[in-house]
Amino acid sequence: MAMNRRQFLIGAGLAAAATAGGLTACAPGSRGNGGGNAGGEQGAATLALAWWGNPTRNKNTEAMIAAYMKANPNVKISGQPGEFASYWDKLATQTAGGTAPDIIQMDMAYISEYGSRGALLDLKDVDVSKFAEGTVDSGKINEKLVGINAGVNSAVILANPTVWEKAKMEMPDDTTWTWDQMAEVAAEVASKAGVPFGLASLVGSDPFFATFLRQNGKELFTPDGLGFEAAEAQAWYDMMVRFQKANALGTPAQISEEGSGPSAKPLDQSALVVGNAAMQYWNTNQLEAISAAAGGDYLMEMLRGPSLAGKATERKTWYKASMLWSASAKTKNPEAAVAWINWFANDQAAADIDKAERGIPPNTEIQAAVKPKLSAAQQRVLQYITDIQPEVAATPIAPPPGGGTLAEVLFRNGIDVLFGRSSTAEAAQKFVDEVKSNLQV
Amino acid sequence: MSAISELSTIRRTKAKTPEEKRLAAKEAGRDNKAGYLFLLPWLIGLVVIVAGPMIASLYLSFTNYSLIQAPEWIGLDNYVRMVNDPRLHKSITVTFIYVIVGVPLQLIVALGVAMLLNEGMRGLAFYRSIFYLPSMLGASVAIAVLWRQMFEVDGLVNQVLRLFGIPASTSWIADPQWALWTIILLHVWTFGSPMVIFLAGLRQIPGMYYEAASVDGASKWAQFRKITLPLLSPIIFFNLVLQIINAFQSFTQAYVVSNGTGGPADETLFYTLYLYQRGFVQFQMGYASAMAWLLVVIIAAFTAINFYLSKRWVFYGD
Repeated sequence: MAMNRRQFLIGAGLAAAATAGGLTACAPGSRGNGGGNAGGEQGAATLALAWWGNPTRNKNTEAMIAAYMKANPNVKISGQPGEFASYWDKLATQTAGGTAPDIIQMDMAYISEYGSRGALLDLKDVDVSKFAEGTVDSGKINEKLVGINAGVNSAVILANPTVWEKAKMEMPDDTTWTWDQMAEVAAEVASKAGVPFGLASLVGSDPFFATFLRQNGKELFTPDGLGFEAAEAQAWYDMMVRFQKANALGTPAQISEEGSGPSAKPLDQSALVVGNAAMQYWNTNQLEAISAAAGGDYLMEMLRGPSLAGKATERKTWYKASMLWSASAKTKNPEAAVAWINWFANDQAAADIDKAERGIPPNTEIQAAVKPKLSAAQQRVLQYITDIQPEVAATPIAPPPGGGTLAEVLFRNGIDVLFGRSSTAEAAQKFVDEVKSNLQV
Repeated sequence: MSAISELSTIRRTKAKTPEEKRLAAKEAGRDNKAGYLFLLPWLIGLVVIVAGPMIASLYLSFTNYSLIQAPEWIGLDNYVRMVNDPRLHKSITVTFIYVIVGVPLQLIVALGVAMLLNEGMRGLAFYRSIFYLPSMLGASVAIAVLWRQMFEVDGLVNQVLRLFGIPASTSWIADPQWALWTIILLHVWTFGSPMVIFLAGLRQIPGMYYEAASVDGASKWAQFRKITLPLLSPIIFFNLVLQIINAFQSFTQAYVVSNGTGGPADETLFYTLYLYQRGFVQFQMGYASAMAWLLVVIIAAFTAINFYLSKRWVFYGD
């Protein structure tokens, strides 16, 4: 039945396209296409392409599909735009019913759920030779390349310059600050500017927890499972309690209300955007959207995460794939799906449309060519991503199946600690136990 | 005598000869066929949408099924795992508090409002609609979002409290101590459908009982206890059974208020919300199916207890 629906959708899409084409052809003064593409009907490959996004991304993706179909008349692509939360419900049911879209926009949190269960196509035929170092590995599951980085990202602390001005403080030196110095600065700016949060959304941010672990010689995940013990988790919770007591992170109620991951407030109501926070944890590709939502004529400042040693080169950050392109293992047209992903990754025409909307293009040649066309915010992000190159450590492995929920568990137990409902030791043990049991699926 | 009943009397008296009886039977058969035809959409719905998936989920509850790979038979493993799942126990506690506190409170409010509306005031239809409105909206996403904004740190509730000099600085929705109670409040607020049923029930109670009682000098409270409650008890019972079943299946409010996490700190982790997380977030459809069957058993047990206890307090007037 779902199969029929998909065919119906494709059919409807084509019919709509045909009607639109017919209308333009009828319009006075339109330039006729002459012969048409009747020859392309035979053996035409049809592909369904699913993504989640925002209005800008939807527009870009539709435009890319149209451009691709024009250049490749033998391929028919139907787009399936979606919204992040429901996207995964739909993809799971489609995959269960054997009707997964041919090309799938994928997230790091889910890639191994699908990849390690054989649901994703091996993409070894996609050309990644021009990708920057450290941008390919995130798409590898069990040594098999099942996701192509669609844009480079890195976890970042965004700072709202208007709050800092109000506090009459200079931006700190983010290349030398330690965790404790960061908390001191956060507490100072919060009290001087009179805002609730010095630094918002730290408690449940898995990238910062991960760098904290990596600076201590551990990892979130290793190929054998969880890469740390309750002791490290307790150290994190102890640090959070210390920072919160120093008034750097907001009150427990405010931290809980701001949320984290799936429970986080929407971007336009986030503490940083509404001016309630001096700093907040985000990802680099969100700079433009955040600055736009704040409505001012300024951009948020990008600050590096801290390190234990006070040296940015030892903070063990990494290039994250903001999202990836995968293909269904069951696609009827694997070559066509690979060809489209290859086109997105390596063709200037695609980059000219999408620019840095999905993150900085990992292909360095494309990156250089697209640079002058970027908006001011995107140029800043590109500069930042280039600047941190010497600080980038190995790419962590993707969370194994069941590991995608780690951040939510980290935050939930953190809330228990902050409200004094459990000790840091208890919370750390519960956190580790739950993540471990989620991994044994 | 109305025209219709006259007609049926004529028919009854007419259909006497065997020939006419046969015809009448045939007609009844045709009526039955039409009846089944009208029933068909429901019947198809029952088999395809209810019974089919239920049997499938019973099977899946004995498997490890990730949605992506084919289900793998693991016997009772899912049920065994449920015994040692702290979040499952938490979700059962949360749901029980919600049902045991929320349902009686909601019914009390519904009955109270229904009795007020039964006083024969002017513009009754208007008030009835107004009071019913929350029930139409209560399960909607918009109201859950509104709830979030009312009960946050700088929300409406705290602003009003501060007007009265109460230094309210917590977030009712984000403080683990209070979060569930805001959702119970939302549940109580959607008292419309039991209220309408109560109102209909109150209308059925003959006024003469009250007249007789007041002549005998019975107070309002005595009238309520000795006349209203016993005569309304079948309606109360009906509402109680229905609302308990509904409350066990509550999902939307908690889902929207906590963005699907059951937070803060799992204090609003309703059973169905956890079931959804297991099935669709963690891809454990087998475990989620087992949870669904446990819920069926819990609801069936509650309903059975309800029916058993009803013999002691429900009065059918015979």
